[in-house]
Amino acid sequence: MRTRKGLVQAVTRDYQLWIMILPAIIVILIFNYIPMYGIQLAFRDYDFSKGLTGGEWRGLAYFRQFIDSYLFTDLMRNTFLISLASIVLGFPAPIILALILNQIRRKKMKQLMQTTVYLPHFISVIVLVGMLNVLLSAETGVVGHLMKSIGLGHINLLASTGTFIPVYVLSDIWQHCGWNSIIYLAALSTVDPQLYDAARIDGASRWQTIRFIDIPALVPTIIILFILSMGNILSTGFEKIFLMQNSLNLPVSEVIATYVYKIGIVSSQFSLASAIGLFNTVINFIFLFAMNTISKRVSETSLF
Amino acid sequence: MRKKLSVLTSLVLITAMLLSGCGSGGNSESAGTTPGNASGEKVKLTAIMTKHPLTKPLAEMEWLQAVEDAAGVEIEWQEITTDYGQKKGTMLASGDIPDLFIGPNVITDADFAQFQGLFQDLSGMLDQAPNVQKMFSEKPETKLIATQPDGKIYGLPKYQRFWPSTGTRQFINQKWLDELGLQKPTTWDELYDVLVAFKEKDANGNGDAKDEIPMDWPGGIGGYFNPAVLLGSMGITLSEGSSQGYFVEDGQIKNFLIDERYKTMVAFLNKLYKAGLINPEVFTHDYTKYQSIARGEGDTAKVGFTWGWVASDRFGEQLAPQYVTLPPLKVTADYTGKLSWSYDYYSLNYGTNHVVMSAKTKHKEAAMRFINELYDPKVGIQALFGSIGPNIQDHGDGTYSVLPPANPEMDPGTWKWTSTMADHGAFYIPDDLQLTLGKDMQEVLGQSESLEEALKVDLDKDVFPGLFIKYSTMDNNTMSLNNTNVMNLAESSFAKWVTKGGIEGEWDAYVKEAQKAGITQNLEIMQKYYEEYQSKK
Repeated sequence: MRTRKGLVQAVTRDYQLWIMILPAIIVILIFNYIPMYGIQLAFRDYDFSKGLTGGEWRGLAYFRQFIDSYLFTDLMRNTFLISLASIVLGFPAPIILALILNQIRRKKMKQLMQTTVYLPHFISVIVLVGMLNVLLSAETGVVGHLMKSIGLGHINLLASTGTFIPVYVLSDIWQHCGWNSIIYLAALSTVDPQLYDAARIDGASRWQTIRFIDIPALVPTIIILFILSMGNILSTGFEKIFLMQNSLNLPVSEVIATYVYKIGIVSSQFSLASAIGLFNTVINFIFLFAMNTISKRVSETSLF
Repeated sequence: MRKKLSVLTSLVLITAMLLSGCGSGGNSESAGTTPGNASGEKVKLTAIMTKHPLTKPLAEMEWLQAVEDAAGVEIEWQEITTDYGQKKGTMLASGDIPDLFIGPNVITDADFAQFQGLFQDLSGMLDQAPNVQKMFSEKPETKLIATQPDGKIYGLPKYQRFWPSTGTRQFINQKWLDELGLQKPTTWDELYDVLVAFKEKDANGNGDAKDEIPMDWPGGIGGYFNPAVLLGSMGITLSEGSSQGYFVEDGQIKNFLIDERYKTMVAFLNKLYKAGLINPEVFTHDYTKYQSIARGEGDTAKVGFTWGWVASDRFGEQLAPQYVTLPPLKVTADYTGKLSWSYDYYSLNYGTNHVVMSAKTKHKEAAMRFINELYDPKVGIQALFGSIGPNIQDHGDGTYSVLPPANPEMDPGTWKWTSTMADHGAFYIPDDLQLTLGKDMQEVLGQSESLEEALKVDLDKDVFPGLFIKYSTMDNNTMSLNNTNVMNLAESSFAKWVTKGGIEGEWDAYVKEAQKAGITQNLEIMQKYYEEYQSKK
């Protein structure tokens, strides 16, 4: 009873704020919540003449079809591996970069550095993959020649199952690390300068200021972003993987997203594709929820 | 055809479009107006044409204007060259489609089954289209291609008659052979020796012994211009490119991807690859790069042995004279079985669903008049080769000839694709029409001669009549899902075995996997339909 009263009161008291946020709520409702009724396509046969809701109810048949399908284990493994590698290597990179940038004293220099590392973020995926193709080509590329000249032999980095994930993850870090470090730099800027001064007077080295001032200041941000990234554990970026795919790296580069495209859009099997997509989302949600709970228990920082 | 939106977004988009589509059905003008050109007023129609990237705007084609005038219609064209597959999916799902679709298999049989009620059944309207009826009676197989299992006709086919029996020709650089004093290879072993010589002896004579690429293809396994044609050396007749491996032998549907002879071929390709005789980028380059490498630099050719449509297209006008075509090679010198090739006559000369009408169009009669005009034989040659005047000469006595390109630097193939709908159009060219072909087509036919012997195949027992078989929706879905899985395995295994070897040890496990992935099920389905088709013939 108290809560309801509290809610009404909160709304009437802050009604100006609620009006301001109303458009956002409506947009989210229309574009994110209403279309959710389409999820039932994953449980039905898609029948054009009867619309999304008119097909025959098939229950979990499409999920079973996906799980029984011959590619299921490969898809899960590849998706996990790529996501895991992206998180393990890609998550700490912007933190480290932010800590380094934060140590640069001269303001002009710092700004220049920041702008330089942001820039790759604005290259479109298509152009980036084009660049990778040109640079990494074993025959004509710079990297290919370099490797040959230092005796690494003739490796086609884009066409081998062993190098696909490293190329994918490292190029991703190169592209987005600078941009992602912004949020950490913002968090660092809130640190009271007196702390640094005090530490320096006490004789702290540069490494010690990072360790005892910067990192503790970043921890809440790190945890929140980590929880959020857990929610994406199975949603590897579709575009880049699809563009980088070729028949030589297919055994490691076929992931859930590219498979959904091939099944859903190319072969027009909408029901099966929605089932796979929903399956993917449910797993993401489980990860997100689990990480959030753990973090709430351990560090009292959480999303919800 | 690479895509930009994530799949999830597309699905949400489809949902959103379905929602909006429900609310706003039938937005055309009042239904009461009677269409027709009695009053001299033209009927306005909308149409989508999936055209080749080279093709100029449809509004600039004189013959097409004449056709529209004759039918009393004015068409607002939407011209699509890329990403049609994705655009089509969302468009059909929203139900908001134009009056006409034109293009090769522009709407597939599977779409007809899935989007029931969206497309017009033309079978009851044929009396309004005498030209189409004429095609059906002169070439009964065209009616077979058009008719769905339930007797309805949603899409009309094309027939273009002039194309050869195969899409793939095998080229070798004669100048290099002469330079090195070699004979044309006739067996795989001889081919190997020739390619080694090409690689090691600076065959193009530019002083750089390393820049020759002895063998090249566009990548992957299956489809046109692909080394799968080497299976003909062991008697396998591919058909329509066999891009997913299916072929017929003695009335039995098989798939070469799990055939012992394929194993032999892959082992041979691996031998070539290990010796450095295959373009190392064969699995990673794209079609454009593949084409541009073969065009060499000036008079200096780069590629020794390869497959393609016609020499002038594959190597460019300047280098084309250096190349000659080869008949199929024998697998070993003592092989006495039959030699075969890829039999593609049907897919090259016929096309399925080249024009489709929306069931919602307000002006069905007018749309049908337009379709009827398209199937006029005299319009047909113009749709394929260009307008009478700039592209075709009318000799006035019922005979015609295709003119060379107005721009002398352009090759005739490019000229054809630039000036007209070409192979993407919907038309009928009867067998008795007298047309002298252009240089490119004569070249294709000339370069096909070396393959003629190998293509004398038993059409009933050794060629899969893919164009004439209509599957049920369920079978179609099952097969396409299985093929996605099978090709995923086959593509990567093929690439691995060619570049790294190892087929001997992995073959049995691979065959089992492929059968599990769906080959066996597909073979059963196809066999059933094939036998049904044969029994009805």
